[in-house]
Amino acid sequence: MIMSKLFKKTLLIIIVLFAVVAVSTLLSSGWHIYNMLVAEYTSKGTAIARSIADSSVETLLNRDAATVQSMIDQFTEIAGVSYVFVVDAQGDIISHTFVPNVPSEIRDIGTSKNTAPVDIEIGNRRYIDISAPIVEGAVGFVHVGMDKGIIMSELLSSMMRQFYLLSIIFIFSAAAAYFLVSRVSQPLNKLTEYSRRLAQHDFSQSIEIKSKDEVGQLAGTMQSLANDLSEVFDRYEHALKDAVVELQSTLAYLTAVIDHMADGLLVSDVDGIITHVNPAMSAMVNMRENDLIGKYCGDLFGEGLAEIVQKSRHDPEEVYTIEIELAGGRTGKAVAAGVMQDYFPLEGGGKGIGAVVLVRDITTEKEVDRMKTDFISTVSHELRTPLTSVKGFTEIIRNKLEEDLFSKVTFTDEKSARALKRVRTNINIILSESERLTSIIDDLLDVAKLEAGKVQWKTEPVSVADVISRAHEATSALFEKKGLVFTKNVESDLPYVIGDSDKLIQVVINLLSNSVKFTESGSVTCTACSNGKEIVVRVADTGSGIADTDRHAVFEKFKQVGDTLTDKPKGTGLGLPICRQIIAHHRGRIWVESEMGLGSVFIFTLPVADVTNVAAESHSTNRETITHV
Amino acid sequence: MSKVLIVDDEPLIRILLEQSLEEFVDHGVSILTAENGLEAIEIIKKERPELVFLDVMMPKMNGFEVCNMVKKELQFKDICIVMVTAKGQEQDKIKAEEVGTDYYITKPFSIRDVINKVSEILKIEL
Repeated sequence: MIMSKLFKKTLLIIIVLFAVVAVSTLLSSGWHIYNMLVAEYTSKGTAIARSIADSSVETLLNRDAATVQSMIDQFTEIAGVSYVFVVDAQGDIISHTFVPNVPSEIRDIGTSKNTAPVDIEIGNRRYIDISAPIVEGAVGFVHVGMDKGIIMSELLSSMMRQFYLLSIIFIFSAAAAYFLVSRVSQPLNKLTEYSRRLAQHDFSQSIEIKSKDEVGQLAGTMQSLANDLSEVFDRYEHALKDAVVELQSTLAYLTAVIDHMADGLLVSDVDGIITHVNPAMSAMVNMRENDLIGKYCGDLFGEGLAEIVQKSRHDPEEVYTIEIELAGGRTGKAVAAGVMQDYFPLEGGGKGIGAVVLVRDITTEKEVDRMKTDFISTVSHELRTPLTSVKGFTEIIRNKLEEDLFSKVTFTDEKSARALKRVRTNINIILSESERLTSIIDDLLDVAKLEAGKVQWKTEPVSVADVISRAHEATSALFEKKGLVFTKNVESDLPYVIGDSDKLIQVVINLLSNSVKFTESGSVTCTACSNGKEIVVRVADTGSGIADTDRHAVFEKFKQVGDTLTDKPKGTGLGLPICRQIIAHHRGRIWVESEMGLGSVFIFTLPVADVTNVAAESHSTNRETITHV
Repeated sequence: MSKVLIVDDEPLIRILLEQSLEEFVDHGVSILTAENGLEAIEIIKKERPELVFLDVMMPKMNGFEVCNMVKKELQFKDICIVMVTAKGQEQDKIKAEEVGTDYYITKPFSIRDVINKVSEILKIEL
């Protein structure tokens, strides 16, 4: 049976304590017994001495030494009495029991008149000398010597008996204690072993202690705790397993997504070292994944990419793009964005841990773009050249006719006069139609350029009031021709907007000429005001108006609302789409409000420029050294 | 006697411009023509015209190159160059400005405007 260390210690302490108690008990009882024995023997000796003294008065007085001798001799047979002697008043020993002669130590006591018991030593033996006076000491004294050795041996035997008793008690109690402690210790040992297993997360065992004491309660509590713990562990283990499975499937999903992306993906660390690429990326640069990972992206794709990787790291909100060369002379567009450690925010927000770069093969797009641009310029050139001849020669014909023929010849017959009139009219029609054709080509080019993103926009502070004035100047002839009234209502001190003034003038010209086109009589009103955030420009006419269903269509290409079979088309149908594109580029909005028969209001907004920017940019004036004829 | 050079690979445009400037011939202006850039350079060197109408898109040597060469030569840099082009695009205007073009007109142009411009440059009242 294994005993717990705690109980071993306790048992040892109990034994030591018992030993201390036993020894001290033994000593104190020994001392007590010794005192009692001394007193007993002293009183015994006193009684003997007194009886001798009382009975020997006469004998002494008669100086019958032989009688005295015989009397005292019989006393020496009493247990404990060692010697008896009688001295007279002068201190001479009258009779004694010493054999063969009186020891010298006795002679000194004989002379003493003291009657108190005295310890003396004769030879190696110790005695208690008790004296009793005979007739108040007048006759002499009787001395009785009690042997101390007997006292000591009695004491010893008594002590031995006590010792044996204590030993027996000790052995029995120790055995009982050992047994008891072992019994208490056993469940504790079980408990200890059980808790050790619990600590090692072994919940398979159960503990069985049926006792109702603290140990039993402790075992019960521990068992229920262990059950709870085991349950919690099980639950967490399941949750962990589920989480791992989920994580693995998510990871597999993400990897599959990344690996099957059509675009190339490249991940770099903060130093621009490539840490991950997807198969599309490897294919684009015609290199194996292993040859890419661990390399500096600047070495593989040029410093431009390394630069945007660094930039994106410092400014994770921004997305940077650059064109890079791919394998086989193809071109890729790389888009870099910083990767932040969002999930483990450190002090002061997230920390850039690298950059992710998406690469798209834009070779085809670029080719298409180039072809589109080429097409635009080719069409522009090929159409304009014959148009120039048509327009130019017609103009020359007209001039020649007017100056050199019509002015010099007078037609008398009606037919000739009519023919002259017809020629004049038709030549003018050719001229105006060639003008129209020119503007259609211009508009087509504008739309194509806007859509292809080939327009070079100026960014300068623009005064909306100036824009409206210049647009009105350009269209004043139209107003005069149709006899319409133009009203301008522009708020003073309008803030600047940032943009391209020529393009904005084009917008207002388009809107004004549009209004004139569809207004037979009345007026066109242009107003401009600011609401703090943006400037709102309205061009209102008193024309035919636009039906609700057509309101969106007016901003679509080649759409002219109304019945195209009966109404003669006016313009190219491209003016408003161009306006929409230009306004959209300026981050503004354009729309129309209209009521059939009452007129239309075209409204556009432009965001107000930041005042601090205006000052800086107002220096970048637009040089116009070439005069446009 | 003033000389005006018309450079264009399109014969009709050359004829059109010639006819437009016909009236100036009566005022002692001679009109020269060239059908490509190389020819234009030769004529400019030989005849030293006051005014050149220069097309941009031409074979052998384009208008920008011709203008650039002319404006670099100290003895020719006073020659007034009017770029005539079908390309009305911004980058062409900027390019024309860079090579030192004095005026810039886009096809189709107005005959009236051309006549006015020439009389202004040559200081000839018709």
